[in-house]
Amino acid sequence: MRNTIAAAATIALLIGGAAEAGTPSPATAPVSATLPPYAPAYEPRSVDERGLWMETDEYERRLKDSPLLVKDVELQNYVRKVLCETVGDNRCGSVRIYILEVPALNASMTPNGALTVWTGLLLRAQNEAQLGAVLGHEFAHFELRHTLSAFKQRRKATDLLAWAQVLGGLTNTDTTGLQLSLIGSMFRYSRDEEKQADLLALKYLAASPYPSSEFARIWQNMMAEEDATAAGRKVKSKHRYTAGFFDDHPTDLDRANYLASAAQAMGDSGDPQVAGHYAAIGHILPRLLADQTKLNDFGGSDYILNEMAALHGWTPDLLFARGQMYTLRGNPRDLLTASQFYRQALNGGLNDPVAHRELGLTLLKSGSAGEAKPEFEKYLQLVPGASDARVIKTLLSE
Amino acid sequence: MTLRIFRPRPIIALVFALCAVSVSAQEKTGSKQGFSLRPGTARIILMRPNIRVGAQSTGGMFEPNADWTAQARENLGAELSKIEQRLGNVVVTYDDQSPTEGPVARQYNSLFSSVAESAMEYQFFKGNRLPTKKHSDGFEWGLGPGLAQLQSLQGADYLLFVTTRDAYGSTGRKILQVAGLLAGVAVTSGEHRGYAGLVDLRTGELVWLNADMQMGGDVRTPEGAAKRVSELLKGFPGRSESN
Repeated sequence: MRNTIAAAATIALLIGGAAEAGTPSPATAPVSATLPPYAPAYEPRSVDERGLWMETDEYERRLKDSPLLVKDVELQNYVRKVLCETVGDNRCGSVRIYILEVPALNASMTPNGALTVWTGLLLRAQNEAQLGAVLGHEFAHFELRHTLSAFKQRRKATDLLAWAQVLGGLTNTDTTGLQLSLIGSMFRYSRDEEKQADLLALKYLAASPYPSSEFARIWQNMMAEEDATAAGRKVKSKHRYTAGFFDDHPTDLDRANYLASAAQAMGDSGDPQVAGHYAAIGHILPRLLADQTKLNDFGGSDYILNEMAALHGWTPDLLFARGQMYTLRGNPRDLLTASQFYRQALNGGLNDPVAHRELGLTLLKSGSAGEAKPEFEKYLQLVPGASDARVIKTLLSE
Repeated sequence: MTLRIFRPRPIIALVFALCAVSVSAQEKTGSKQGFSLRPGTARIILMRPNIRVGAQSTGGMFEPNADWTAQARENLGAELSKIEQRLGNVVVTYDDQSPTEGPVARQYNSLFSSVAESAMEYQFFKGNRLPTKKHSDGFEWGLGPGLAQLQSLQGADYLLFVTTRDAYGSTGRKILQVAGLLAGVAVTSGEHRGYAGLVDLRTGELVWLNADMQMGGDVRTPEGAAKRVSELLKGFPGRSESN
């Protein structure tokens, strides 16, 4: 008898709790162009939110001192300008921007408003609007206080999970199914919030001078890049429409699709500012390209370079990076191809002594020692104190 | 960490476990063989302590608490400022906000945490010792000689690092613990771990480390913080035990 009552109580508690843990998934409201009201200089009040802010204050202290931090005021100002253009001047003021040198497309936001941008995003964004879309998505998490709601939902789900384990043991009931659905609820909740942030970012874009249609392009380009990477590595690439059980974000394909149709419903237009973006990252472009080529991802790097060349033509910087890609792959035929790209880059006006060295090395390795010699001499003449000057001199004397 | 990222990261590690790690059968203190620090012979720099205080939810999640952490920082700070008398050596607090060497100092702080946690995992826990640590009771851990290069540390002999992490079991966790007893599921409530270490600035060697996975003293109160600091400094080499 006692057992039956306990079991009934367990099940009632768990079902009630599970329903509660499952329901507050953020509504994916129909898209309208009006932005929600915004309160600047927000201060957290609840114990949970103040705790999270304190944790992220500590995180930000470490972020400030990160060796990956790109200390480039010009670039920071540019990212801030794009953020402010996207979300509006009344919103962007409280955000701190940190640019980290990581050659992949991503960005993150803390609950207290520290926005981190990876350099791989700056390289891949084709225009200001695409950069603004990502910044807007992160800002939406901040404005909607998603870290707090996800924390609370995770706590509720893990609380119930713990009770399911203990009460299941107490009443000898199998709670595996319930435990699985609780675990699943955490990931589903996270996916719902990601979608909510995507759609709010789309609203920011629609209200900004940038066109909202550019957001979906990011995902289309990412999928194309992943396909290129996979092809370069001789593996199969696949894009799923439905997210898996453990996915904390909707799939790329899903995001591309719902963002494209939502942007169409918005029907806004504007100048995505292709030239503006390229000009703003111009001074750091060689570094971004070097980071990318060093990833040893021939297919992916080739895709990025081709996309950039389609917009801006084969500039000396892009040609040099292309040469580096072939040098790194290093088949005999690649070395010859690389030397051609280095030549084109130098003829096009590339002002980097290293290009002479790289050209010399590829020529030497492909058997043209005579042609390599003047390139090495040029390199030594331009940088007499280079750290590898002695090695190059040895090559010259051979 | 509590970050919202734009794209999913490739690897997500998931652990849904009820129980904390077993803390028995573990050594607590290690020091370099033959090392001793007599009172009045050294100048010690205290790095910014790593302090995290919060609650433990029913499901075992850490819930950071800003008020408790601020109280602990204040209480432990006041207590640590008095350790000069306890240790009998000059102790000064390091300012890691300096724009020139702050970032490097912070990296050394992180490095210390990694090294100290490795020492706890692979030396203090006997059953888990690495092959190189298995056959000797020596204590050979270090941060490398680079520390001596830091201008802001000139004139000092040792660096003292302190880390504490407290998660006070919530009411829900305590009820779960009782229910767990009946159900035969082991549920621990609360987590109070801390460690302190001393690093020789000239060589970068970790000369002393004291770690405890079940520390006493409620860091939210001045009396508790005094007890905690005493426990953290237990076995400090060459300390006069009367203090």
